[in-house]
Parts: sequence; structure tokens; C-alpha cells
Amino acid sequence: MAQLDIQAVTKTFGTVSVLKDINLNIRSGEFIVFVGPSGCGKSTLLRMITGLETVSSGEIRIEGARVNETDPAQRGTAMVFQSYALYPHMSVAENMGFSLRMAGQKKTEIRDRVARAAAILRLDKLLDRRPGQLSGGQKQRVAIGRAIVREPKVFLFDEPLSNLDAELRVKMRAELLELHRRLKATMIYVTHDQVEAMTLADRMVVMNGGIVQQFGRPLDLYDDPDNLFVAGFIGSPRMNVMSAEVAEVTPTHVTVTSPGGADARLILPFRGLDPSIRQLSLGIRPEHVRLAEAGEGLPVAVDFVEELGDVTYIHGSMPAGERLVIRSGVRRLDPTLTTCHAALDPARFLLFDSEGQRLRESGSLPA
Amino acid sequence: MTAASESASGHRWAVADLWTWAVLKWVVAICIAIVAVFPIWWMVNVVFAEPGAPVSINPRLYPTSFSAGWDKIMMILTETQYLRAYYISVTYALLTILGVLLFGSMAAFEFALFDFPGKGLLFGVVMLSLMVPTAVTIIPTYLLVADLGWLNTMQGLVVPGLASAFGLFMLVQFMRSIPAEMIEAARLDGASHFQIYWHVALPLSKNALVTLAILTFMKTWGNFTWPLIVAPSPETYTVGQVVGLFNAPFSHQTVDVVMTANLLAAVPPLIFFLIFQRKIVEGIAMQGSKG
Ligand SMILES: Nc1ncnc2c1ncn2[C@@H]1O[C@H](COP(=O)(O)OP(=O)(O)OP(=O)(O)O)[C@@H](O)[C@H]1O
Ligand SMILES: [Mg+2]
Repeated sequence: MAQLDIQAVTKTFGTVSVLKDINLNIRSGEFIVFVGPSGCGKSTLLRMITGLETVSSGEIRIEGARVNETDPAQRGTAMVFQSYALYPHMSVAENMGFSLRMAGQKKTEIRDRVARAAAILRLDKLLDRRPGQLSGGQKQRVAIGRAIVREPKVFLFDEPLSNLDAELRVKMRAELLELHRRLKATMIYVTHDQVEAMTLADRMVVMNGGIVQQFGRPLDLYDDPDNLFVAGFIGSPRMNVMSAEVAEVTPTHVTVTSPGGADARLILPFRGLDPSIRQLSLGIRPEHVRLAEAGEGLPVAVDFVEELGDVTYIHGSMPAGERLVIRSGVRRLDPTLTTCHAALDPARFLLFDSEGQRLRESGSLPA
Repeated sequence: MTAASESASGHRWAVADLWTWAVLKWVVAICIAIVAVFPIWWMVNVVFAEPGAPVSINPRLYPTSFSAGWDKIMMILTETQYLRAYYISVTYALLTILGVLLFGSMAAFEFALFDFPGKGLLFGVVMLSLMVPTAVTIIPTYLLVADLGWLNTMQGLVVPGLASAFGLFMLVQFMRSIPAEMIEAARLDGASHFQIYWHVALPLSKNALVTLAILTFMKTWGNFTWPLIVAPSPETYTVGQVVGLFNAPFSHQTVDVVMTANLLAAVPPLIFFLIFQRKIVEGIAMQGSKG
């Protein structure tokens, strides 16, 4: 049984449709990340799960029980806000114990549970402080502590680290993973940072325009995206995309011409392409493109070069103006380099139709 | 002259400027303080003066007899209804403060942090009432209070002043700055609507509430007209009314006794002011920037 079931959920604000037909099954103990560009509805979905927004249609179930109408405090969810939303007039201990106090727990019980959560988060020495006297990272830990104290079935985090500096963010990320391992609780985490998503998620939900684009394990999404949006959103630098015309289709191969406007032919292994398709978008990751000798590969005009030490990215453009990033191990390239040649690994191409949907091989799949 | 000594002399100049500026500021401030304090000081000197000193000795720069002043004070407190008037005035002020804070904060909580049908219209009506001068509403309010049979009663004094449009406005402005996420967090923590008000919104508005309490105190303590018309019977005289009797053109009290009555009326606000000095200044500044 899924811990959290989201079935055909939609959300409209007035006449504006913000979420369309969301279906997700989240298993107990999973670390799920919602990721997508700003305004795609991540926060709205999270707020619907916890009950801060009503569900326009569809059903949300937690441990099998429908919670659409359940009071937010009774759903067994706890939320950590981006702004922390700590009560500034209460001490850290009072902040963490507030929900228990509202639930009418005994003072000793509250103190014990707060102390336990504080120990997990290394907040023991800060219990008497006010939020105003804490650093950003400490505030974030208190906000998480406030959630832990409630012992929820599902933790919800809405961009909890985005107010922290890069270094602290990496540290807090590690702490969150550690916490997840310890508590074995279901966690849902919202971010628009795909690196954060990849590092944290057991499975991630890529959203765009109120629609779930793909739901799966991070590397599956990386290797096997369902559409151009996911392909472009995940991975940094982004996947290269170029248009091409289909010249010939055989049962096992597709021959395309003028990839990215270059005067070239590529023969791609691909089973069972629909022969009516004339136009394709080809996707290939920078690590599957390498620098080649003149005469080999496609000509590329070099725009700029990023030398990161361990790896060098050459950002160039194809004759039709499409961007092409080449990943290279070569350090200290000739600085006057203005053109180069790129060899693309034909086996690594992903094919997309003109709507950006992924074309998958059909017929007998390779073993 | 070298560049270094030049810049040093420039520096000295700046210091001298600062000095003049500081001295000037102090002189001006002291002058204003003297002008402000002098009438009160004069009042004190008249009260604590040898009995029989002619009123025409002007100005009086220092007190001459403590015991004579004390006698006058005791005389007023024992032989007139002054103590009862104190009691009435203090009760009137405290009840009004309590009511204004309670109703103002509850209404502000809803207006500032939640949506409900008709909110804009209702708030508009309340704000409109801010524009209407008291002189216009005082007669209808009086008639209403009279109809209720509340003339010469404490509720007649207090109840009409409980809903303060100004207080509501001020608290709404203040509570709007409470982040929505904090209210949501409280909701998720299981706080009921009232508990959110009580445990989150109220404590966070403490500064505004204190300010409003002070402003309300000053207003009710100094309110002369309303008690005069709604509670004209001597049993419900406020301090203001009693002092009014002393000050009346045909009162046959001597000047020093009148001054004593006035001084006694000024003592509570003075004490209040000394305690809350900083808050009052902040409050007035807030009125200016927000109102
Ligand atoms: N209360 C509301 N009324 C009307 N529209 C809303 C409301 N709340 C959110 N929206 C709209 O819903 C869409 C999704 O908003 P949401 O906050 O869920 O985005 P998000 O994915 O969390 O974005 P971000 O990464 O910027 O936080 C946005 O277009 C937003 O304008
Ligand atoms: Mg958001």
C-alpha cells in the first residue's frame, strides 16, 4: 500500500488551472523530490497534501484514508517552510513544542519530545534562544525540529534550503539525508534546483506547467527522459538538442541529414521508427560529444570555453544556430580556437518528435 | 604646509564643527524643555507656597512651603469628591483601554490576515468613520445611550468608546506585516483560529498594542466632553469634570486651590508618561508614518 496516493488531482484558482491531473504513488519511507521551474505548481501541490489548499478535484490518500477534507493538523503531515516561519516571540524549545502544547500534551511529555528532537538536530544548547538569535542554518534546523516533534507520517519541505548560502546548503543537504536515514520517514521535498533534486531523491517528480512530466529515479530520468523538457531540465550543462531531417528509415537504423544545419549525414541505431516522421529533434548529452580532428564530425563555431579543471566544456553553435556543448578532458585549449569539430556518438542519441515527446524504439528490444 | 598637516587641520575643523553643532542642539533642546516644563513648575510653586501669598507675585520660581501645599492636597482629597473622581476616571480609562485593545485586535486579526466576503466594504465603512468628526456623532451616540438607560453609568461612559476605528486601522497595518506562512505554520501545528490569534498574532503585535493603550489612555483621561454630557451627575464625575468645577468662572476657590486640583489631575498622566516615555514617542512616530 502506498503511503501517499495522489489520484487525478487538479487545482484551479478561480478560472486559472494550476495543476492538471496529477497522479503519484509514493511509498512509505521514500525521499521524493518535486522539481520544476518557478510557477509550475510545486508549492501548490505540497500545500494541497498538507491541507493548506483545498483540492479542486481528485483525491489525496494518506495510508489509504482519504484526507481531502481532513484538518491540516490531523493529516499526519508536517511542513517546513522556506521562510522557516518560526514564532519570533517564542524560544526554540517553545517553537518546537508548540504543536504538542496545542494538542494538550503534558509539560513533561513535551519537554521529553523536544529534547529528543533537539538531540537529533544538535540544538540542545540553543533551546532557550529566540529565533532572532540564531543563524540561518540553525533556524532551518529548528524548523525541521518543529516538524520532527510531531512525529508525522509525511514530512513536507518547501525549498527549505534556498535562503542558505551554497556551502551551508550542501551541508544541510547531507544532514537531511542523514535525518531521512534515521527517521525512515516519508519525505517530500520541493526545489527548483535540479542538482539538489538529483542528490536527495529516491525518486523525483519533474513538473512543468502544472503537469507531471516524469516520475522516476534520478538516473533513469537522466538517461531515459520522456520528453524534451525533462531532457533539458535534468543535467548540467543541459543536453544538446538539434533538429534533423529523416532521410531513410530501416528496421534497425535511421539516417538523418543536416543535423543542426550541418552538411552531414548521421546513421543512428534505432528500431522501428514510424516512417511517416520527417522531422526529428535529436538530443545528446555533452559527455557523448567529443572533440574531433578536422574532417571528422560536425563543424562547430566556438562561443566560449569553460575550464573547470577536471573537465572542460566547449560551448559552440551549429550552423543552424543551435547550441552544442562538448565535454572534453583536454586542459588549456588553444585560446584562439574559433572553430572545432565535434564527434557525436550515434548510439547515444535520443530521438524526440516535433512536439518534444520522446520516440522510443519498438519491435524487439535489445536484451 | 605639508599635505598631512593640512588634512589634520581639516580634521580639527570637522571636530570643532561637531562641537558647535552638539552645543547648539543642547541649547535648543533645553530651551524647549524649559518652555514646556515651566507652567507645571509654576503650578507646583503656587501649590507649595506660603498661605496668603498674593496671587500677583509673578512669576514664582521656587516652592516656599511644603506643608502648606500638602495641606491643600489633603483638603481637596478629603473635602471634595476628588478620590471618587479618580476612581471613576481610572476605571473609565482602564476599561476603555481593555475594550479597545480586545475588540481592535480581534477585528484587526480578521481584517489583516484572512479573507471573508464583504471584507473590503466593511473595512471601508470603518475607515470612513475615521473621517467623521466626533462633534457629528456625539449627539446620536448620546441619544442611543440615553435610550439604553445608561446615562450616569460606567457602561454609558465606556461602551461607546470601545470600538476605535483608529485603533483598528493601526492594528491592521501592524498585523499585515505578520507573514502568512507563520499563520499557516500555526494552523499546521494544530492551533485553532482563536489560538492563532491568542498565541501568535497578539504577542507579535505587542508593540502596537502598548502604543494603542497609551494613546487610548491619553485620550480618555483628557476626554472632557463625553463624560460631561453622558454622566452629568456628581456621582459619576471624572477628574476632568471635577477640575472643571474648580476652574469654572464663578467658582469661589482661591487660585492656589484651583491650581492644586489641576496639579492632582496632571499627576497620573505625568507618571504614566515617565514610565512609558519611549513607547509614547515611538507611538506618536508610528501614528505619523502609518496613519
Ligand atoms: N492563491 C493563489 N491564487 C491564484 N493563483 C495562485 C495562487 N497560489 C499560486 N498561484 C499560481 O499557481 C501557480 C503555481 O504556483 P506555485 O507557488 O505552486 O509555484 P511553484 O512551483 O512553487 O513556484 P516557485 O518555484 O516559484 O515557488 C503560479 O502560476 C501562481 O501564480
Ligand atoms: Mg514554491
